[in-house]
Amino acid sequence: MTLMVLDPRQSAEGEALRMAPALQSLEGAVIGMIDNAKIGTERLFDFIEEILRKQYGVREVIRRRKPDASRPVPPEMLAELRGADAVLSATGD
Amino acid sequence: MTSALVSAALEVEDAFAANELFQKNGWTDGLPVVPPTEQGVLRFLAAVKLQPDDTVGVEPVRRRRITAEKVAIAALMAGCLPEYMPVVVAIIKALCRPEVGLHGSTASTGGSAPFIVVNGPIRTALGMNSTHNVLANGSRANATIGRSVRLFLLNVLGGVPGQLDRSTLGHPGKFTFCVAEDEEGSAWLPLSVERGIPAGTSAVTVMAVESPHQIMNEWTHDPKEICDTYAAAMKSNMLTYSIWEGNYAVVIPKQHRDIFAESNWTKANIREYVFEVARVKRGEWRTVGKAAVAGRKNEDQVYRALRTPDDLLVIAAGGPAGGFAAIVPPWYGKKSLAITEPIVV
Repeated sequence: MTLMVLDPRQSAEGEALRMAPALQSLEGAVIGMIDNAKIGTERLFDFIEEILRKQYGVREVIRRRKPDASRPVPPEMLAELRGADAVLSATGD
Repeated sequence: MTSALVSAALEVEDAFAANELFQKNGWTDGLPVVPPTEQGVLRFLAAVKLQPDDTVGVEPVRRRRITAEKVAIAALMAGCLPEYMPVVVAIIKALCRPEVGLHGSTASTGGSAPFIVVNGPIRTALGMNSTHNVLANGSRANATIGRSVRLFLLNVLGGVPGQLDRSTLGHPGKFTFCVAEDEEGSAWLPLSVERGIPAGTSAVTVMAVESPHQIMNEWTHDPKEICDTYAAAMKSNMLTYSIWEGNYAVVIPKQHRDIFAESNWTKANIREYVFEVARVKRGEWRTVGKAAVAGRKNEDQVYRALRTPDDLLVIAAGGPAGGFAAIVPPWYGKKSLAITEPIVV
């Protein structure tokens, strides 16, 4: 006699995420940057912003800093990034 | 056979094969599991009068709805008995409160574990351990209730090490970390009562914590000196781990409790004294190799371990002999707080 056992995992409701199509080019693009409020992120983003502008011709960068690294971006802050063609989000330390 | 359960059923040869399948799929903490069968899960749900699709809680960051069915599977797999379910359900409810920061504490490189303290009559009904070896093995209920939380985080919230769980080190409490307070062995108010739950009502208190730090002071009868030792461990944590204020827990076994009782010290006296002395100056960071950040602000600035005396959770538990106690430090200061939830039986 065999045994039937149940899958312990919970499937994610409302989390059917998929990759957004990649931008064809960064030339003239508007890039959002979400700083996760960790100690080294500002400096890292300074470098990335410079590279994006000088080497890739990014037109505008919208930078915002999360109030708390361990909690989601507040909705009003997300709304401010709505005009961006793509958004970079810092994770980790 | 029709079933109200939605979980996919997998056919295996026997319980040993079930364990091997779960090990292979990464559905366990590495220890063997009890195979979750439909019959078993329905028994666990019946113990709390919940339907499989009932919502136990919603993890607030990813808005993941947690169903009773998956909580029952986690508890059964962990080795619980059905009658432990009210405690497990209360823990999950408490962990879903936004103040806990469950997602952050699960994902953080800081590597914390939910510390669980059980109060009230359900402790004795379930045979929970509150004395010898209280922070470790000693009773099936403590071990498996605590382990249910890990299996829940792993399988229901996806807290897989290297995936959502980014802990650099973690600590042994991530396997299981559940104690009962020794209410019979203490004249003090139970933790749950101090935190607003009526006396006689069972409750759980949860808190995202780093590993406990055992201290020893067997050479005094002065309650202030005992508290100075507790505060020293807290100050050490502030300097070597995180300076931020928030909840700390202190687990106090009988020998220290007797010293406090000689001087008529209550938990409130301990909290107030420790609140005053558990503080460091920013400049002290220089003494522990953190000179690079010490000078970024005023080095005379004083940092307290606790925002108020109430931030210290004082828990009576541990074996009868030994001048020990344990400081249980917070994962992330005031950004992740202890929560107390009544147990519905």
